[in-house]
Amino acid sequence: MKPEELLYAPTHEWVAVAKENGVQVATIGITDFAVKQLTDLVYMELPEVGRKLAAGQEFGEVESVKAVSPLYSPVAGEVIAVNSELPNRLETLNDDPFGQGWVMKVKLSDETALSKLLDYAAYQKQCSEQG
Amino acid sequence: MTAARLILDPPAGGAWNMAVDEALLESAALTGQSTLRFYAWQDATLSLGYFQNYAARKTHAASHELPLVRRATGGGAIVHHHELTYSFASPITDRLAADVEQLYYTFHETLIDALSIFGIRAQLCDRPVKHDAEAAPFLCFQRRAKGDVLCGGAKIAGSAQRRRHGAVLQHGSVLLCTSPQSPELRSIAEVGERVLTPGELIRAWEPLLASKMSVSWALAELTSAEMARAAEVEQAKFSADSWNQRR
Repeated sequence: MKPEELLYAPTHEWVAVAKENGVQVATIGITDFAVKQLTDLVYMELPEVGRKLAAGQEFGEVESVKAVSPLYSPVAGEVIAVNSELPNRLETLNDDPFGQGWVMKVKLSDETALSKLLDYAAYQKQCSEQG
Repeated sequence: MTAARLILDPPAGGAWNMAVDEALLESAALTGQSTLRFYAWQDATLSLGYFQNYAARKTHAASHELPLVRRATGGGAIVHHHELTYSFASPITDRLAADVEQLYYTFHETLIDALSIFGIRAQLCDRPVKHDAEAAPFLCFQRRAKGDVLCGGAKIAGSAQRRRHGAVLQHGSVLLCTSPQSPELRSIAEVGERVLTPGELIRAWEPLLASKMSVSWALAELTSAEMARAAEVEQAKFSADSWNQRR
């Protein structure tokens, strides 16, 4: 996926929305900026398939050498798939954060949260201000 | 100069100590207030890093009989005995902002300066050792991460964080003397050839932290709301097998 075409949460998750089997599905990952800032990831915990999430709710956690950080769902809906290989291959997040490094897919229950997400330019601006 | 709270707590049990830190983390997010807390442990206690497996304690015979608590922060296991523990809870705007990571250096650089007052020479680790998650040494003090505090080649202080929306909690431990429950570790008493009491180190360290962080400490105790919250969290989380043995 091209980073320029994605939506972003201020909490550093990316979102790609597409129709799958007639329903709106958001594929969600964490951005290259987040991966770089977290440095040397060692553990990751994913949500269970079937879990219902509100926008802004914690859905998982990552541990770097120094810190445990939560991951936040940018959208509301039900988790319908997780990238279960990812916790065993965390280097994928460095190599391909916007592709093979996807984290979960969520069937949207409500699309209002999408309007609050940032486009690529706005997210880049946020990162440059805090990097 | 910003005011921040300084709490000097008497020794307490592991579950209570962790619950207080969680209450302080929540306070930081809710009120915007920073709190530095120094504390000790009533009995020698083993704390596991958040992602460590409970079963891994079997690999460390010397600490096998100690009470255990799982921390909310990352990193390796710590035998809390003859050491000084601190926690620092602070509001943040973004959990990945550069200044959040900088907190490690703030604490560790000032600790090095504090130790130098006692003639103890320490430095930051600049040669981290990377491990696969499963192969990482069980004990925190046997790991080497960038920015750890070393003395005579031994790691004598390390810190780890729990970040959340709106606040960060940083835990750290300074190894003052070697414990019989972790005899493989070398402490400040051994490599620095100086036995420091927790009080001595706190008195040297806290003014350096205040200066580095441009804060003035106001000596404080937990608020009644924080006490109540800590009691809840102690019961529901840090005393529970569902938390301590969750992995």
